Amino acid sequence: MNTAKSNGLSLCPKCHKLNSLQAEPQQCSRCHGMFYQRKRNSLQYTLAWNVAALLAFIPANLYPIMIVYQFGIPSEANILSGIGEFIDLGLYPIAIIIFTASIIVPLIKIIGLFVLVYKAHTGIRLKPNRHSKIYHILEFLGPWSMLDVFVVALMVTVVELGFITSVAAGPAINYFTITVIFTMFAANSFDPRLLWDKAADKNTAKQAHLPSANLPDTLPATLPEEKG
Amino acid sequence: MDHKINPAFFVACQQCDALYDKPQLKQGQIAKCNHCGSTLIERKVDSIERSFHWSLAGLMLMLPAILLPLMGITLAGQFHQASLFDCILVLIDRGFFMIACLVFLFAIAVPIVRLAGALYISYCFKFNKLKPSLLNFFRAYHHLDNWAMLNVFMLGIVVSMYKLIDDTELSINLGLFAFVFWLICSTMSAAALDQDYIWDKLERAFPRNCANEHS
Repeated sequence: MNTAKSNGLSLCPKCHKLNSLQAEPQQCSRCHGMFYQRKRNSLQYTLAWNVAALLAFIPANLYPIMIVYQFGIPSEANILSGIGEFIDLGLYPIAIIIFTASIIVPLIKIIGLFVLVYKAHTGIRLKPNRHSKIYHILEFLGPWSMLDVFVVALMVTVVELGFITSVAAGPAINYFTITVIFTMFAANSFDPRLLWDKAADKNTAKQAHLPSANLPDTLPATLPEEKG
Repeated sequence: MDHKINPAFFVACQQCDALYDKPQLKQGQIAKCNHCGSTLIERKVDSIERSFHWSLAGLMLMLPAILLPLMGITLAGQFHQASLFDCILVLIDRGFFMIACLVFLFAIAVPIVRLAGALYISYCFKFNKLKPSLLNFFRAYHHLDNWAMLNVFMLGIVVSMYKLIDDTELSINLGLFAFVFWLICSTMSAAALDQDYIWDKLERAFPRNCANEHS
């Protein structure tokens, strides 16, 4: 494959102009932004944001997300019990939407990014075509898990009838927003071109019939783009 | 890597870095990458006109969408309604600063800035008032690409209506309609803005600002 990288060119991530790479970071000749050929330490950053998001996801599920006061008596609900309420009421479509947005989507994003990082690092059974599609889906899903936060924000505002009923947000809401935002950062810091680089490296390594002793030396060297 | 290629005649895929000759597209055509199938370049039809009008409409709907009440509830003879702006005030009042900040950013500030940015850019192009500062402006505009969440907020409204509908009397207010139209306008104006075309045109208008390196 003829890539921009193999021709000493690089694409500006902001304005998508091809620049000939003379220094790293290179200043884009069109929008004057500084950029690297690949996102810097992309896998490490993705991994770090991902772990942070996963950690924040635990208290997000344990603490109550919404506290409903009826005649002064509080009843707490966390994410799962809120979904259970909808199922009890028979509102299955809404239950599915909330379950997808607040449990499945963050989990899929976190797990998916772990898998992508793993694949891009090791190159084991890497199908760049399919995996870059997966990355696209993960990127698209990102903002939708903010749904629960917005629902709670609206409930707090609209249901405010003094003593009769009022709604307060629980501590889980902060952790949950942190999870969502961190997964968005994680997805942003991943560079899908690393998948293609890795696949191309593997192909050339196969074709060159390198002696097996040389192989481990060549593999890690391709991972983070030239440091310093 | 010693052979010099003039980068102006090539495009690279954003996803897989494959290099292609730069295609000359007519309006409405899309160039796709052979390798990974993602879009290389797209020339949108009537991009400037469309994004100008959509963003103008969006900015006009902005105030009613934010200030008019979205929905109200009646329970035990008491009535309470809230708008998007109330939402933020109440959240601050109750001490949930983080959510207040995020709702303000994602549902108000970012959409407004994006609409205003799209309007300004398409206005400058429509009336031929290109300035070098647009280069920086448009670059900053791209930073906000991912962070407008009006559509998610809309789904949030729907879900919270379902939550409220069975034990309260729910009323839908004018603000909700304004909000829906605002959402449509901001989505359409972002979708209509043809970034490749704008960058190309800016580059051709200010060759001096864009010529750090011509090898």
